[in-house]
Amino acid sequence: MKDKLNSNRSRTFLAITIPIVILFFVFNTMAVIQGFGYSLTNFKGFGGYDFVGLRNYIDLFSDERIINSYIFTFGFAIICTILVNIISLVLALGLSSKIRAQGALRAIYFLPNILGGLVIGYVFNFFFTYILPGIGEAINSGALSNSLLASPKTAWFALVITVAWQAVALNTLIYISGLQTVPEDVYEAGAIDGAVGFKKFKNITFPLIMPFFTINMVLCMKNFLMVFDQVVSLTGGGPARSTESISFLIYSGGLSGGAFGYQSANAVIFFVVIVTISIFQLRFLNSKEEQL
Amino acid sequence: MKKYLSASICLTLAMSVLSGCSSSQDIAGKTTIELVTYKMEAVDLFNEFAREFNEENPDLNLVIEAPKDATTVIKTRLIKDDAPDMIGIGGDSTFSILVDTGVLGDISDYSGLDDIKESFLEIDKKLEPVPKTGVYALPYVANASGILFNKRIFAQYGWEIPDTWDGLINLCETIQAAGLAPFTFGHKDSWTTLAPWNALAVSMTSPDLFTRVSLGQDKFSNHYGDIALKQKQLLEYSGNDPFAYGYNDACTAFAKGLAAMYPIGSYAIPQILSVNPDLEIGSFVLPANNDPKTNILNSGIDLQFSVMEDSKVKEECYRVLEFFQRNENIQRYINEQISVPCKQGEFELNESLTHMKDYIDANLLSDYPDHHYPSEMGADALIQTYLVTGDLKKFLDTFDKDWIRFNQDNIRKLLEYEENH
Repeated sequence: MKDKLNSNRSRTFLAITIPIVILFFVFNTMAVIQGFGYSLTNFKGFGGYDFVGLRNYIDLFSDERIINSYIFTFGFAIICTILVNIISLVLALGLSSKIRAQGALRAIYFLPNILGGLVIGYVFNFFFTYILPGIGEAINSGALSNSLLASPKTAWFALVITVAWQAVALNTLIYISGLQTVPEDVYEAGAIDGAVGFKKFKNITFPLIMPFFTINMVLCMKNFLMVFDQVVSLTGGGPARSTESISFLIYSGGLSGGAFGYQSANAVIFFVVIVTISIFQLRFLNSKEEQL
Repeated sequence: MKKYLSASICLTLAMSVLSGCSSSQDIAGKTTIELVTYKMEAVDLFNEFAREFNEENPDLNLVIEAPKDATTVIKTRLIKDDAPDMIGIGGDSTFSILVDTGVLGDISDYSGLDDIKESFLEIDKKLEPVPKTGVYALPYVANASGILFNKRIFAQYGWEIPDTWDGLINLCETIQAAGLAPFTFGHKDSWTTLAPWNALAVSMTSPDLFTRVSLGQDKFSNHYGDIALKQKQLLEYSGNDPFAYGYNDACTAFAKGLAAMYPIGSYAIPQILSVNPDLEIGSFVLPANNDPKTNILNSGIDLQFSVMEDSKVKEECYRVLEFFQRNENIQRYINEQISVPCKQGEFELNESLTHMKDYIDANLLSDYPDHHYPSEMGADALIQTYLVTGDLKKFLDTFDKDWIRFNQDNIRKLLEYEENH
């Protein structure tokens, strides 16, 4: 009797799982395998092609444009991850405290998340090209009156602002939900022992929302490494190729540039890099998590 | 267990079939011809063409699409095995790639080819990375690139059109002394750096440079240094930060009279006029050298039509080409898009092109060099990088190195071809 129940249960689970596994395999795994196949050819995306062995991979490591895009993307992702997590944690603490219009404020801070990356990019493009230099001229500031997007030294910073502005929304939401899981009595017990102010945050709040910190770090890093929309709409990879992210380069070189095989090789390497980083982050941060 | 498995497989298959058949525009009893063109700015005229063509040919249904970033759309549809019947693109590196991969059909049996000016058919021939037999595109209209100028400002100050490089620089000094901005640039969009680059390069290099470099007989660094220096010199006369504004911003600035000149192709004129319809625009050949006789016009095929190899309606596509090629339709197109017809015969050219007409009539023209650069090389970004950083040596080295890297398959095929011929 028990066995039958068990097999019934497992049948149900299988019926739920198998379609998803097949869908995942067809639309995701197959595509990855196919991409790996293309990475060994000089395929342009259509028409005929020849097998070229590992030439694409060897070329990748000597292509300065590819190397620069990796350096840029990693620098960008690390700075953005740090910035976004600090800002959203501070915001979440503020929005979780007993303030007026808490619900409305939370809704307003969440707003950027429901806008598309392209839309935000175009709006910020206008802001950086016309409004900010306009303000700069009005207050006679030499540094501000030039468009941030015009120089390779500052364009990445404009991109950080744009991407961070949007990403803070979701991360704040996750931190707020994290803060709600901390029971009030822990704080009360801590207060008796003298944990108030920053001490309270450092010794009680932060360790207890550590799982949410892990999620945010992994999500942020992965999303920022794959930054694409904002690059397209804000800088188009320029000026002087200073803001070419890896995803953007794969797209522009592979699809519009016609180097499909070559950029497939780049995509395979990028896939391996992202998986490695995500696993490392999860392992490292999980070991720091506290359980109540 | 088996039942669930087969059910889920069926479901998956059904879904993949569903996603496979995209919107089909077949109308009962009519043959549909699908044309995708990259001339987004001429979409209204193309829709008129399609309507008239369909009224004239009740058995056919011509559908013309002009999506944004059409060359990527075309390539993506080729990847999906969902190619249109015809494409309308420029005679550029996209055409090079398409003709090389063999997705374009041979149209040498199309009778209308006899009316096309020989020089434009030659331009298309030179764009084939490895020479092929057959004709793969019908050149429709050409554009010219040089310097656009504000006629009213020039007339007001009595400035003359320069025909030497020194003359151009002197003119810029004069304009600056008069308190005006000589140029406007839209170099935030990196492709705009190619406009002055091409216009300078046609007069300063020979068109067989690409083949010579591929065969290892020459190097770009022997020729491109001077061009780069001259282009950088032009930036000194910009009225704004050249890298802060894009193409649209520069067109708007020129339309509002904020600069006397704008180094860009004739393709920009419709957009400029859409901002200020009363602006009187003139154009002249960018005088790259101090000997006026060596300066030639930068002109290339702006729009050409190809029939896809896999199209099942080739005959019907020819009827579309015949319709497009009627003199009155060409005249309508060049009136609206301010371009130069590739067909022989008397056509009325737009006023703003009059100074270039002599070069066109005398056949003193040469194709855009960037049409030969492989697009994955990103020559526009290389030039933009040089203009921003000023590192000439690195620019020239990268240019030579990247040319070989991104052309290695073509170079190999070209060497084989040279051995066999």
